Order: sequence, then structure tokens, then C-alpha cells
Amino acid sequence: MIESQCRPQFNGLELLEDAQLNKRILSTGCERIDLLLQGGLRVGHVTELAGPSSSGKTQVCLKVASHVARKYSGTVMYFDSGNSFSPKRIVQFLTQESDPANTEVDEIVQRVMSSIVCYSIFDIFTLLDMLHQLMNNLKSEIGCNVRMLIIDSLSSLIAPVLGGGGAHGHALMVTAGFLLKELAHEHNLSIVVTNHMVAGEAGSSKPALGDSWKSIPHVRLLLHRYRATNDSCISILKHPYLQNCITVPRALNL
Amino acid sequence: MEVSTLPISASHRGKLISSGYTSLSSLSSVSPSRLAQDLKISENEAVEILKVVSRRSGSEKIENGNHAIMNGAQTAWDMLHEEESSVCITTSCSDLDVILGGGIHCKEVTEIGGVPGIGKTQLGIQLAVNVQIPSGYGGLGGKAIYIDTEGSFMVERALQIAEACAQDMLEYDNLLRKDSQACRVIKQPKAFLENIFYFRVCTYTEQIAVINYLEKFISEQKDVKVVIVDSITFHFRQDFEDMALRTRLLGGMALKLMKLAKQFKLAVVLLNQVTTKYKEGSFQLTLALGDSWSHASTNRIILHWNGDERYAYLDKSPSLQSASAPYAVTGKGIRNAAPNCKRVKLM
Amino acid sequence: MANKLISEMGLPRSMANVFIARNIVTAKDALSLSEFELMEVLDVGLEEVTRAVAHISEISCPPYQTALSLLEQRNQNEYLAGHLPTRLKGLDAALFGGIPFGVVTELVGPAGIGKTQFCLKLALLASLPTSYGGLGGRVIYVDVESKFSSKRMIEMGLSSFPEIFHMEGLAQEMAGRILVLQPASLSEFTESLQHIKVSLLQHNVKLLIIDSMAALASGEYGLAPPKHHPLGWHISFIKSLAECYRIPVVVTNQVRSQSRDEASRYLFQEQSRAETIEDPPNFNSHLVAALGIHWAHAVTIRLVLEFRSGQRVIKIAKSSISPSMGFCFNITSSGVSLLDDEGVEMMGPEANTISWEGHIGIINYE
Repeated sequence: MIESQCRPQFNGLELLEDAQLNKRILSTGCERIDLLLQGGLRVGHVTELAGPSSSGKTQVCLKVASHVARKYSGTVMYFDSGNSFSPKRIVQFLTQESDPANTEVDEIVQRVMSSIVCYSIFDIFTLLDMLHQLMNNLKSEIGCNVRMLIIDSLSSLIAPVLGGGGAHGHALMVTAGFLLKELAHEHNLSIVVTNHMVAGEAGSSKPALGDSWKSIPHVRLLLHRYRATNDSCISILKHPYLQNCITVPRALNL
Repeated sequence: MEVSTLPISASHRGKLISSGYTSLSSLSSVSPSRLAQDLKISENEAVEILKVVSRRSGSEKIENGNHAIMNGAQTAWDMLHEEESSVCITTSCSDLDVILGGGIHCKEVTEIGGVPGIGKTQLGIQLAVNVQIPSGYGGLGGKAIYIDTEGSFMVERALQIAEACAQDMLEYDNLLRKDSQACRVIKQPKAFLENIFYFRVCTYTEQIAVINYLEKFISEQKDVKVVIVDSITFHFRQDFEDMALRTRLLGGMALKLMKLAKQFKLAVVLLNQVTTKYKEGSFQLTLALGDSWSHASTNRIILHWNGDERYAYLDKSPSLQSASAPYAVTGKGIRNAAPNCKRVKLM
Repeated sequence: MANKLISEMGLPRSMANVFIARNIVTAKDALSLSEFELMEVLDVGLEEVTRAVAHISEISCPPYQTALSLLEQRNQNEYLAGHLPTRLKGLDAALFGGIPFGVVTELVGPAGIGKTQFCLKLALLASLPTSYGGLGGRVIYVDVESKFSSKRMIEMGLSSFPEIFHMEGLAQEMAGRILVLQPASLSEFTESLQHIKVSLLQHNVKLLIIDSMAALASGEYGLAPPKHHPLGWHISFIKSLAECYRIPVVVTNQVRSQSRDEASRYLFQEQSRAETIEDPPNFNSHLVAALGIHWAHAVTIRLVLEFRSGQRVIKIAKSSISPSMGFCFNITSSGVSLLDDEGVEMMGPEANTISWEGHIGIINYE
């Protein structure tokens, strides 16, 4: 499944086009993020976006949702735990991407928006219910072809059950994680989840959900926003074959 | 083990597994009486377990239509239309309304934080009054719930603000010469006070209890369109030795409030205090309750001083850019700042 | 409310027993655990737990009132709709009647400015019979620094209300209504708070004065205050006393010098320096109120007393009703008197800063 080691001597753009053509990689809609990830989000992978508040996690999720729904046929599922899914913002992204002379923009917007399905989830058991249902539907091929699942934010659903006396919370988290991986792998989905930050040692921050979570996503990205310039930067915390990649600054207007 | 993540008791989980029911499919066709027999539990308990299982495996009716794959899901297109027809709660300061995209939005949780004396409670009371502005005047015509954890709600001030609001509505009428009786809804200031439900909360237990109770209260009351908690912080800043517990309780509270906002299509406004934090080499002012709370709201507004003026900064929003706007606290409530100061600034 | 027993809440028998078996006895115990934790601890399914928690929450939830009924209650039951007039016309007008009942009012300022004088006068006013415009009740005066002077109070009384004070026995009766406590330490104070609560009910206490709160805190903890607010519990308790018994509570606070590390900006302000107006460096404003930002959030009305250009000024720094007004005042034989009832409106955060100009006094450093 995972190809040979990626060597940086290939031209980034060539790699990008090649990977995207294979449809095993979904472009995120941001050229720079695609470059960082050498193509984009991989089908079959679970990608985690971690970052402090207002670093742009939801913005990236919305951008990816709008781009994937537009470029690739199929449905994008969006699980929202913070009432942050903004249809208005999706429309903005779609109109930005379109050629202003294009008279069919409205049609495109309608088509794309109708293939993004949003569900509000406020507790972990409902999340597990929904993941199971999705799995069953995909197995029996009911409904449309789902391309991507975005969960914003997964950590706010899991954090309330971690800690405390028992270990059951951890078990739930790990089970949810494996379920996500199974969904991604068996049904050719690309899954994006967001995670918040908590205090680490000596005043630093680290992604929430702890050590047992670290091994679950295939790719972990860290976002950071510099308020002075309004630039954001993404770096790779973990990736199957990309290492020590440079961080790529990108303006928040995506 | 699929059954290990079902929301049932630990002993029931254990019994299911030891009786061989390890997967959801194994439970799909078993009758309650059979299950009760196998697990040595009552039939009622077996019925409850099977209910949970059916919810998990989604054997409840699947919504028709190409795109609604699961119960309760909505397409972005439908949501867009809903959003376009929804009304915001005005803050009575047009500059502030502009950066907020019209005002405080329903179905969202908005956090407002600032130093003491900046006007958080003022804004809270203003919203509790403004939510009641009838739809004829562009408002929601709803009721307000004010949860006071600090005792800062001063009812005389609420009356003052209500009087000013009624006055504004009267002036609006006169301006537009609305002669038709149907449009004219004369609201007495005291009528505004009647639609503000006031809860005084003295401990964190009561705070959690109120938030849990709101679901029932709002279903019975109907028409509640804003829930204001002033402040969300107070009882959680002291007396908490177990910080991990505090994080869990706050996390749970945040989700409940999100759910409330979505379920009843109302706005939740949480007022927060500030604290100092050592970050990036120096002490900074930051909103209280720590890192894990900072993601618990949909929007965040920080009220601060800039020279002699009060400013509101939109720090977090899913669809709007960060921006700052000046505002003033006057005898009538929150209003636009004096004309000679800097206007709305996009960051 | 938090201590309500689960056994008395009307839960179904079996459920109530499960709670008690696991030693979850009060509402506080139950609600301090998330529903998920309760599932595990009680060994019960989620739906049952949710139902039980909803029931417990409903019972332990404080009762609600509409704001209208709150207003009507105040107007009907209370003196001047819940205010203690200070007899300083300008100040009373700005405060819509006077020191409000039911909330904590703070007096903050450097030593020697007149905080204790103000408190003595308030104590006097509260003990005046209602026929003379007072509250006609007892006063509890917590005197931490032994500054209370009955002689001074009588002097004030004679000066302000000569006709009353010359009456036979009235002066003594009024003095008798003022109970002075002098706790030697924070822990003694904590204990006496419980006694105060009982007295409030039994002895018709109409005013509680704590002079000064900062002295209590600093005395106990020496140089560095511990991380979690040491007065956290006291703040809540005092506020609840004010509210439950609908009395005014006046607390005095000291000042300390502002340390360099003092934060005054948010992260977003730091990083967009160009747009923010720098606070002009003010050599006189190096003082801040002691007890920190947590305390500042907890008081409802803050009156700042300071020296400004050689003049004593009292400012309303924090009040939900009043604009930020400042009044010049003097200390006279009758207590505090305003030079001018008009007052000056204070702009911006100036209301909150405490200036100290050329006064020979002892400022407490933390």
C-alpha cells in the first residue's frame, strides 16, 4: 500500500499531479498544504490536525470539505461537535475558486453543497453509533459514494471520558480510533480529525488525547497561527514516509 | 469486541461477552426473553440493551433521499438556507454587529471575555433585553435565561436598558411613521423584565444542575432564544484541587451547551473572566479556564481597553475574519462609541 | 442546594440505592462526576444515568424568578429599593441611592486616604434609627488593623447629627449596635465568618464591614501568595452572605506597587502593536489594588480613593449602573464630605488606576 520512500529529488509539482491522478490522494485545495503533503490527503489515511484555539483547524476542514466535494464526485461527511460548520464559509471558498466569468457558479454551489452532509454530534457514544452506521451503509452500498469524513473536533468528544478512575475511557478512544482506520482503509475514505492542545511540560503545549492516541492517526499535522502577520504555519508531527519537512507558511485567506 | 463500546453498564457488557454475544450482528435477531434468559437479567433490562444495540447498528429507519445517509444529517445546502433566514440578536452597537456578522448568532455558543469593569455584564443584560425585540423590528421576539453565578445582575440596570430599548422602538416607529396598528407593538419596559428568567447559582454543583435542567425548562417554556451565563468561570476558579476533574466537567458542560444551542436553535452566551499566563516569554492576559476550554465555544469575543476606548475583538469565528470594533457603555446600555474614535478595523 | 441528599430526591428506589451503595450521597457528589464516570461507578447503563442526573439536576437546581418579580420584591421589601445612602449627595446620585444591598462594595486606596473614615461613617449611618434615615440595625465591623475608634465615630455623629446625638442615651444605644471583631489571623477570621452568618440572622445585622481584607490575606501568606487564590472561599462566602441576607457588605483593600511582570495586554494586542494606543507612561500610577484580578472580578462595586494633584478623590471604578465618576473630597469632623456634588467623569481605564502623588504615607508592598 505505501509506496517506496519518497525522495525529495522529484519536482514537487510533478509528484503532486501524479499522485492526484491516481485518485489515491485528495487535494486539500491549498496548494501549499498539498506540497507539504506531497499531493494532499491520502485515501485510506486518518489525518489529524492539531493546534491551539483559532489556529485555523476548522478553516482547513471547511476548505478541504468544499474542495473535495467539488473536485471529486462523492459525498463528504462532516461531523461537527462545536456548531462550527459554516455553510456561508463553504460558499465563499467555492466562489473564490471559481472563475468569476463562469455563469454556472450557482449551479456548482448547489451541487457541491448538496453533497456535503453535516451531522452534529455531542457525545462519544453517538459518534460510535454514527461511525457504525456509516460502516454498515458503506458495506451494503446504500446511499452515495462517501469520499471523505471530517470530525471537528474529535478531541472535544473524547476528552470528557478520559481520565477519572477507570480505563474504559481510553478503551473507547482506542476503539474509535481503530474504527476510523478501518473505515478509511476498507472503504477508501480519507478521514480528517481535529485535536486541541493541552499544557505540556515547562509551559509548552502538546496535542490532547495523550500517548495512546499518538499511534492511531497515520498523519499528524500541527497548526500554528501568527497573529501579527495573520499567517498560519503547518508542520508534520508524524507521517509514514515524510520526515523533517519544512513548515509552509500560508495566509489565512486560503 | 463491538459490544464493549455500547453505553451499557460494565456488568452487562461482561455478561454479553461471556455469553458469546460479542458482535452486534449476534444481537440483531435475538428476542428480549431469550437474551434475558442467557444473561440472567430481567426482561426489561434485556429490552434496554437491545434498544441500545439497534441504535448502534443503525437498524432504525434510514432517511430517504440520496444524500441524507443517516438520521438527523443535513446537507450544507439546506443549512445554508436555514442560516440565511435566521435572525441574529443585535448588540445595539452597530459597529459591533458588523464585525459579528449581524449580531450574536443562534445555534452557536459565543464566549465573551474581558477584565473587570469592561462591560461583560452590561453586554449580557443588553442581549437579554434585545432578544425580546419583536420580529416587526427585526428582532427575534424571544425570551432570555440569565444564569448569574457572581451576583452581578443588577435588576435596576436591566430596567434602565429595557426602558432605553422601548424608547428606541418608539423612535423607530415615529421615524418610519408606522401607522398600521398591526406593526405597532408597544412594549413596556417592565414587560421586558418579565421575559428574563433569572437563576442565581452559588456553587459549581448548582451551575451544573442548572445547565442539565435547561433542556427540560426550555422545552416547557418555548421561545427561549438566548441563554446567558455570567460568568461561566467564577465557581470553577476556586476550590478545585483536582484540575483533571475540572477539565472533564467543563468539557461535559461545553458539549451540553453546544447541544442545547443546536437543539433549540438558540444562542448561548458565556461570559468569562481573565487571568494572566506566562506565554512566549512574557506574562499575557488571557481568558480563564485554560487551554482545554478555549475550544468549547463557536465564537470568541474579547473586550478590552485601547487607550480610552472600549473595544471588542472577534478572536474566533468559523466564518468571519478577526476584527475589532469600538463600543461604549452608556446610561442606555451598549451603544456605538463616540464618532471621533477609530472605526471598525479588520485585522 | 449542593448538599441535598439523593435519598430525599424522589428517585426510583432502586436507583437511589445504587447511588448510596457507592457512597454518592449528595447532589454535589453526583454532579461532580460526568455521566460517563457515573456509568462506570454505578454500573448502570447510560440512559438510566442520564435520567437520574436529569432528575437530580432538576431538584438541586436553584429556583428561578423573572427579573420583574425580582424588581418588585426589592421595591416592596427594601429600604430605598435596597440602598444605604452615604449622605454624600453626588456619590449617592451616581450610585442610584447609595451603597447597594446584596453585593460586595470595595473601597481601595493607599493608606491614610480615608477608607477607615468612610467605613466608620457608614457604620454610623447604618445604626441610625430608621426615623432618622438610617437602617436601624446592627453593624458588624471586622477590624483587622485595630483602627476602629468609637471616639471618632461619636465625634462624627455629633458633628453630622447634632440633634440626635445630644439626645439622652441614643448615642450609647447606637454605639451598642456596632459589634467590633478583631481577628488576629486569616484562620480566625474564617472561623468567625461562620459566627457572623449566624448573627446576621439572629441579630438584625444590616451592614458588614471588613477593614481590611488585604491585611488579612497578606498577614497570613507573607511574601508570595500561593498559586490558587487563598481567599477564593472567602470571596464566595462573603458574597453569599451579602446576597442571602440582602445587606450591604463593604470591604477595604490596600494598594501595592505594580510589578514589572504585570500583564496588561492580550496576545493579539502584543502582536499588533501598531494599532494599539500605548498607555502613556505614568510615573504616578505604579499602584494597583492588592488581592489581584480574581478578587477584582468578584466585587460588584469598586470605589477607588486616591490623591490627585494634592486633592483627595473618590472614584466609581466599577459599577454596572453608574458611569465612572470622580469626586473630590476632604476628611472633616463629620467624616468624609464632598467638595463638589457634580463630580467629574473619568475616561477610559483611568478610573481603575490609582495615583499617588507626593503623599507621605506607608504603601504596603507585597
